[in-house]
Amino acid sequence: MQTNLVLLITKQYFKKTFYSKGLFVLLSLFLILLTYITINSWSIFEKRHNSVVHHQKESRNSWESNPDKHPHRMAHFGSFVFRTQHPLSIFDSGIETYTGNSIFLEAHKQNTANFSEASLSTGLVRFGDLNVALLLQLILPLIIFFIGYASITSEKENGTLKIIYLQGATIKEILFGKALGLFLVAAVFFLPALISLWSISFLDSHTTNAEIITRTLIITLSYILFFIILCFVTVIISGKSKNSNKSLLRLLAIWLLFFIIIPKTAQVVGNTIYPNLSKIEFNEAIETEIAKQGDSHNPNDPYFNNIRDSILKANNVTSVKDLPFNYSGFLMSKGEEQTAKIFNKQHKKLIQTYKKQNSIANRLVLFNPYLAIKNVSMGFSGTDFYTYTNFLSQTEAYRYKQSQYMNHLQMKFISNNAKGSEGKINVVEKSYWKAIPQFSYHYLPVLDTIKHQLISLAALGLWLLLSVIIINYFSNHFKII
Amino acid sequence: MYILLIKHFFRSKTVVLAFSLLMLLGMLSIGSGKQFLNQKKIAITKTIEQQKKHIKTQRKYNKDDIGLLSYYLKFSFLKPLEPLAAISMGQSDLNTDIQNVSIVALEGQKHNTDLVNPMRQQVGNLDISFLIIFLFPLVIIALNFNLLSEEEEKGTWKMIKIQSKSSFKFLITKLSIRLLFISMTLGILFLIASFILEIPFTESFLDIILMSYLYIIFWFALCFFVILLRKSSNTNAIILLASWLTLVVFLPIFINNYINKTYPIEEAFSMVIKQRDAYHKKWDTDKKETLNRFYEHYPHLKKYGYKTEGFSWLWYYAMQQLGDDDSKEEREALYNKIKKREALSKKMAQFFPPLQLQLSMNEIAKTSLTNHINFLDATVKFHEDIRLDIYPKVFEKHHPDTVDFEKHKPKFFRAEDNFSLSKNSFSTILITLFLICFGVFKNLKYFK
Repeated sequence: MQTNLVLLITKQYFKKTFYSKGLFVLLSLFLILLTYITINSWSIFEKRHNSVVHHQKESRNSWESNPDKHPHRMAHFGSFVFRTQHPLSIFDSGIETYTGNSIFLEAHKQNTANFSEASLSTGLVRFGDLNVALLLQLILPLIIFFIGYASITSEKENGTLKIIYLQGATIKEILFGKALGLFLVAAVFFLPALISLWSISFLDSHTTNAEIITRTLIITLSYILFFIILCFVTVIISGKSKNSNKSLLRLLAIWLLFFIIIPKTAQVVGNTIYPNLSKIEFNEAIETEIAKQGDSHNPNDPYFNNIRDSILKANNVTSVKDLPFNYSGFLMSKGEEQTAKIFNKQHKKLIQTYKKQNSIANRLVLFNPYLAIKNVSMGFSGTDFYTYTNFLSQTEAYRYKQSQYMNHLQMKFISNNAKGSEGKINVVEKSYWKAIPQFSYHYLPVLDTIKHQLISLAALGLWLLLSVIIINYFSNHFKII
Repeated sequence: MYILLIKHFFRSKTVVLAFSLLMLLGMLSIGSGKQFLNQKKIAITKTIEQQKKHIKTQRKYNKDDIGLLSYYLKFSFLKPLEPLAAISMGQSDLNTDIQNVSIVALEGQKHNTDLVNPMRQQVGNLDISFLIIFLFPLVIIALNFNLLSEEEEKGTWKMIKIQSKSSFKFLITKLSIRLLFISMTLGILFLIASFILEIPFTESFLDIILMSYLYIIFWFALCFFVILLRKSSNTNAIILLASWLTLVVFLPIFINNYINKTYPIEEAFSMVIKQRDAYHKKWDTDKKETLNRFYEHYPHLKKYGYKTEGFSWLWYYAMQQLGDDDSKEEREALYNKIKKREALSKKMAQFFPPLQLQLSMNEIAKTSLTNHINFLDATVKFHEDIRLDIYPKVFEKHHPDTVDFEKHKPKFFRAEDNFSLSKNSFSTILITLFLICFGVFKNLKYFK
């Protein structure tokens, strides 16, 4: 294959396409849209971020302003976590719209994350989110198909393909040249979008540099890969079609199938095959298991009676009143330990079921590069499923720590003669409220995301390889006439 | 002639492909709708069973203290889904339709969500409404875009003009065959759906069917209009696809974004904080004042007096009550915003048939956001009824064994029906008529 010939065809195709009037209109529209979307998403992100920070502070201030109290009262006072989003969610909001934004963390009770943006939106939310990734994942492919569908067929129809061939260019060179040319045209569209992505990662001050730049780099490379694949596919389909009309219809069918129907169907089928427990069943499962273990709120429970007897023995006393620490605090800390374990077990099961539901779509990344880029983009923008479940486990870990902290304060400072948690008698000094650190959310480390998205990254690589092989094979069997 | 045209039409590959695609996805959507309904049904039976079991267990654990027992007992309020919800699932997978509340402050309980995979929520539902709104227009476009231009490009149009009495009639005939085909396909889908999903032919179902047919006619009118612009097949395809992309993909996204930006909801956060603080901080304030405020809300309970020494359940439940009362302002602000969002959505959707159809379908199937808010409002009433029944028993320290908690069976929410077909279809009819008239008018000279 002669490189300079390929480049010649590339240059010719790029020039011809780029200087057409239609493309100019399309490009301007795209750029206006891109600018608007970037500014819009950014301002929404900043507003939401400020609101989260503001309310988080308000909630914490109110926590710290509590007077001297019985620690169990504080355990139920609880704290709120309002979810902060990753800055790259400006670029790709992933499942962000659908995940709960506020979660209440209190003793021996695991609450759900509530108030997702979608749950407060009208029925129009089901069509998708306005962000740059939408342009790159759904719209630009369509544009590439529209620009490139006639790349080979028009030469066939005009009879120029034969002339180029006779002048010494092989089919392989023509195909690669056209694909490269198409890619360059596509680059005029996606480079500004990637600039918008990089500007987010440079101008944002909410995260560390190295982390966000790694993410941005991987996203950038993946998208470039994705568009190369698309350009190859377009040229192959154009080469295989008899005329431009057929080629356009085929490409549109591909878009519909691969970008809309397969992703949707895969997820729906996944949910149908692996249904998850409803909340009522989930709570029932936990309740039954806790009932098996014993209930720390019940003084006559055999399981907790056993604990009591061994504790009395170990401390060489006959009554819980003589223990060197507050017995009900101790009991509650044991209870918390048990229920948290049971909850975590059930919750893990639930997440496993979700993962199974997703597995159909996740396996299809090998056959559908759109699903691959969607996963990669979401994952590295910190808006995917794993980031969310990781957030949930972080909040649960904090909830557990907070409750146990209060239980230990109770063990240490509250007398065994205390009855109830009311009033100013059995209290702990308020400085202890400040002493427990605030919840601080850590984004999922980028290495973990790489691990989760390895198959999608590999799929993109494989598709690139595959499309090169197909072009090679196809050009050997190409019929010019 | 007509039969010949029909034969010709059904021989084309596109038709077979379109029909099988629509049927396949139709079956899938009906299947997933069936499963959706089944899951909800199971959840309802489970809830009824669970409440019985739950009351029994809690009675066992809290034998003597009615205050404590009442603290743990949870009562269910359910929103049963109509079979129509399977046709248009709307927001019903985002918002729970089972409330499980105890008599403590309600605000902290009623917004709890159900357990749904967010990935599923993101890709959205594959229900019949999606099929009709999203895919049917594409098939209509694929069948119609080259109706006239193909004949012109092949050179057959001139022959038709010479041979047939009216070339306009010929075009209408061709179009009507396609309309018939799509109508039949849609009709079959509705029939199968009504059979499998057990939907009775009520007025609501008929409204959905009528709205859907109107929507399809709108797309035919649009195609008709574009065909009569007399451009090449390629141009037609691009114009129609661009219209589809704008109407079905871009506009809803833009409008949704605009609405959420116009009415940002921060009140949700303020409300939950306020509710927590309002209750918990009462532990440290004057008991008498708390009780006073409680009696202000429920004067008929004043007879229970002002016992301020030590802990009492009266005081405890008064504090809980004030958690709800004090966050009322934020709650109302939140609901107001939601109502504004819904109103603005409806207003803007009027001008765009796909959006109007989606919102109408959700409204008819009772899966809209407003419907959920109505359910939440009804939950407040449900919660109050139970509270007011249990309060005196707790305050008078009845023994738990003498109190009939079992009489509080799970209750069902009844949604009101106030969908108006004429109001919701008016603008679509108008747009459709305009498109047809304009197309005909511009081409009067061609058709004699």
